Amino acid sequence: MKALNYLRADTIDSALQYLDEFKQDIRIIAGGTDLVVRLKQDMVKENNILDISRIKELNGIFRENGTIHVLPLTTHTDILESEVIDKYAFILREACATIGSPQIRNRGTLGGNIVNASPAGDSISALFVQTAKLKLKSINGERVVSIEEFFTGPGKTILKPNELLVDIFMPELEENETGFFKKLGQRDALVISVLNVAVKMRRRGAGTNTFDRAVVAFGAVAPTVVRGRRVENAIISSSLDFSKQIHYIARLAFREVSPISDIRASLKYRQDMSINLLYEGLLDLRANDWKRKT
Amino acid sequence: MITEDFKYIGKSVPRIDAADKASGKIKYMSDLNFPGMLFGKILRAKYPHALIKKIDTSQAKALPGVVAVVTWEDVPGLNGFGIVTPDQPVLCKDKVRYIGDAVAAIAAETKELAEKALTLIDVEYEPLPVVDDPIKAIQSDSPKVHDDGNIHLHTKVVRGDVGKAFEEADLVIEHIYCTGEQEHAFLEMETGIARIEEDDILTIYAGSQYPQRDQMQLSRCLALNPCKIRVVSYPVGGAFGGKDELTIQPILGLLVLKTKRPVKMVMTREESVISYWKRHPMIMKYKTGVKKDGTLVANKVTIYADTGAYASLGGPVVNLAIEHACGPYKLSNVDIEGYCIYTNNGVSGAFRGFGVPETAFAIETQMDIMAEKLGINPIELRKKNALQKGDIAPVGNKLTTSVGTVAVLDGISKTKLWKEREKYLVKNTKKPWIKRGFGFALTYQGTGLGVGLPDYGGAILRFCENGGFEVGVGLVDYGQGIGTSYAQIAAEMMKCPIDKIKVVLGDTALTADSGPTSASRGLYLGGKATIIAAEKMMTVLKEKTSEMLKVSVDNLDAENGYICMKNQPEKKISYEEIAAQFMKETDHLPETEGYFLMPLADMKVENAFGLPHHIFAFSAHLALVEVNTLTGQTKVLKGAEVIDAGDVINRQGLEAQSEGGFVMGMGYGLFENMIIEKGIFKTTNFSTYIIPSAEDIPSDIETVTVTDPEETGPYRAKGVAETVMCATAPAITNAIYNAVGVRIFKLPATSELVYTLLEKNEEKCNESTN
Repeated sequence: MKALNYLRADTIDSALQYLDEFKQDIRIIAGGTDLVVRLKQDMVKENNILDISRIKELNGIFRENGTIHVLPLTTHTDILESEVIDKYAFILREACATIGSPQIRNRGTLGGNIVNASPAGDSISALFVQTAKLKLKSINGERVVSIEEFFTGPGKTILKPNELLVDIFMPELEENETGFFKKLGQRDALVISVLNVAVKMRRRGAGTNTFDRAVVAFGAVAPTVVRGRRVENAIISSSLDFSKQIHYIARLAFREVSPISDIRASLKYRQDMSINLLYEGLLDLRANDWKRKT
Repeated sequence: MITEDFKYIGKSVPRIDAADKASGKIKYMSDLNFPGMLFGKILRAKYPHALIKKIDTSQAKALPGVVAVVTWEDVPGLNGFGIVTPDQPVLCKDKVRYIGDAVAAIAAETKELAEKALTLIDVEYEPLPVVDDPIKAIQSDSPKVHDDGNIHLHTKVVRGDVGKAFEEADLVIEHIYCTGEQEHAFLEMETGIARIEEDDILTIYAGSQYPQRDQMQLSRCLALNPCKIRVVSYPVGGAFGGKDELTIQPILGLLVLKTKRPVKMVMTREESVISYWKRHPMIMKYKTGVKKDGTLVANKVTIYADTGAYASLGGPVVNLAIEHACGPYKLSNVDIEGYCIYTNNGVSGAFRGFGVPETAFAIETQMDIMAEKLGINPIELRKKNALQKGDIAPVGNKLTTSVGTVAVLDGISKTKLWKEREKYLVKNTKKPWIKRGFGFALTYQGTGLGVGLPDYGGAILRFCENGGFEVGVGLVDYGQGIGTSYAQIAAEMMKCPIDKIKVVLGDTALTADSGPTSASRGLYLGGKATIIAAEKMMTVLKEKTSEMLKVSVDNLDAENGYICMKNQPEKKISYEEIAAQFMKETDHLPETEGYFLMPLADMKVENAFGLPHHIFAFSAHLALVEVNTLTGQTKVLKGAEVIDAGDVINRQGLEAQSEGGFVMGMGYGLFENMIIEKGIFKTTNFSTYIIPSAEDIPSDIETVTVTDPEETGPYRAKGVAETVMCATAPAITNAIYNAVGVRIFKLPATSELVYTLLEKNEEKCNESTN
């Protein structure tokens, strides 16, 4: 491992100053669960490491006018332990529960999982369906983008070298909204997704199998996490009464994904699993009268 | 059953090293540091198969802080090691044969400097075609890994007339089985530290399985009198066969000799994975003939084992696979051959089970298929063919020691899992795509090295001033718990509290050569040797007491740390007092040695060294699985093992072995596969090489023992370290068949494989209904 210049910022402003000063030659470290592995493998080209882990303003979960804010340094464990998340952002919670091991969840942050921009980043699919927005800040100002716009390719985002992710926020899940996050890995824990799927649906009313809003996202089956708009349209334009119908809708996933073969799984398996995982998730949800898992 | 009233034998004795290991007090080799120590690093091959044209180390040597750079030219002795054939260079001279081959090594003041210096060594290669398919490798037009060709070993064992027998068979089942390349995945990587100690003795502290053999091999490579080399191979953070062969030791020794300073070397996981031993991937062609009534009549088997670039123990692994290829069943017409094949796919060597988990998967799947086709209960089919004491085993030896086949099969019905299986197998009405199934498999494993190889146990017993004893055995406790068993045996034999026993393991200076810690032989041979040493020690103590009390030795007995008079137990002398007497008289304390030669089978198998074995342990493995037909995922819900271990020395230790073996077998069956493409490893760490996590392990792994005491064993015990993992994979794959109707012929049965088979099955069903 090469020698690095270690910098630490304790406020957002100081972090932005550093980012501006070092431009392309600086890498941010928060929890370090991805970066340290890459450092060890000599895969980091930058020579300066900016530690933001002690910036208090970047840590916390709170509600504000129907919106839930999860600040980027919030760890996955924090998310799992938050009652607010459990109530208003449970799809994100389900996703964070599948990330790594307890040790990784204790250190890994939500912001890190986002900016790392892995197509298999488990929290990202959940944030897609919870229609999260990201606030990016630099010394020149700030901008807000939707999570969908943020990613441009594997490990690539629209984040400029002098920008810092300072807020992640999303509408609170409503009473009649339901959904799930499902992950398929090579084993049951501490594993990178072969693929994952997240779904949020708004039920038209108790006793019905119809929905007026649906958001679906798939992870690890394309260069970035992708929305499943054909599936969404099919969900809101039909009634999910029978498993045959649900399967028919799930099969549309086939049109949404463009996976590759790698050491974890083949293209074909990922394609089929994007259908079957969605199908299984919907069946599970229906078996529970469309109520979220408890 | 143990009927005698023992104080320690047969009890659940906590491990003597448990507190030190749990608290971190124990110092592994990775924890050792010596003043003035240098760090060693190895330059590995750039290509899996290439000629070396030139090695230029001048720039690396010129880097300040680099103390030594060594290449093949610096190896003072034979530039080769290997337990059977020393065909692996310590440092490659003109050719590299796999991606982990060592080309040069560096000792520098810091690890970082050593790493930097590696990049400054300039090696010019001429890449050669990569030999990566064992079947193609044995064809005459294949490029050669070694000059003599790619077949390291070919063994053929024929008995009876399989041709005729197949004609007489009512059913012949033919399948090809493939098994994956398994990584030992021990906690502590290949690690060591070495220095020159008092009297110019090169002392190597490196975890391994046989210090005396390491010493011999090192002596040959380093051209050093073996008595000038001390090897300390314990403690070791796991081995499972992966530290049977030498790993870093020769290079470590070379760097110390060159620099005259202590050198430490610690492999990273990635370097460990590409450089060292794995379980042989095997392709096994099986053709088995059976009569309508279930009598097995013939078995024809061809095994192709990929041993990678060097021999190590590849030959013996293939031979053991051959010996166990028919399972523990009576078969008088067999034609079994095996090829051990060189390729550029890393290196394969010893791994728990040593060829048996591979063939157990094949034969136990064959048995399951035959039982179904013949409509015979699978337990009954196995029982009908079960080897029993006095029978002739498939390779021709008569079984004269304890044979637990039937006892183990009968023991299946004693498990909770079997008794309650109907309850567990209820249909999931809420999630009909989740299906459950039950499966089992039977296996056995020979103890010891087999005919043709010297096989002995040795132990030293030292009397201590506190009236206790130190047991010195050259074997190591790499997790299986033999240290505790030796303490139990010594305490029982010497009639003293177990806390008065100290166990010293794996050290050429302090322990007796007891052969390799492998082949399920540690308890059996080390235990027997300890008993013999203790018997001698008891005589020594009694003789001294008889002098002190002026009574005949015949009138003396031992009890709870005292030698006492048989009919006047109050007349006694404590061991401590006896020790004091020795010190007073001679100023030193006695030590005794015990040596035990392994009993051997009544015949040898021509051209198959190491065959056959004489003593076997048996086990049945049971699994309850749940298969998700939408994803192909298999979850093992419950497991059980029925084990014939002879009489059990340490119940708690046996249960830990059983559970650990089950989990390792489960990883082999469902997850673990080293992916190597064109000689390049693709799964070099645990984010890509998948071993079971705590979440994947069944909530319940039962251990049931059936006792078929082994009269020759220490307290009638047998070793079970390997058999406990050998048939877990086929138990699981048989359970998968029971759940969803697809047969697994390839390990691991990953979700993707099971899903693909389910899909094919569905297509077939659709075709037949159309």
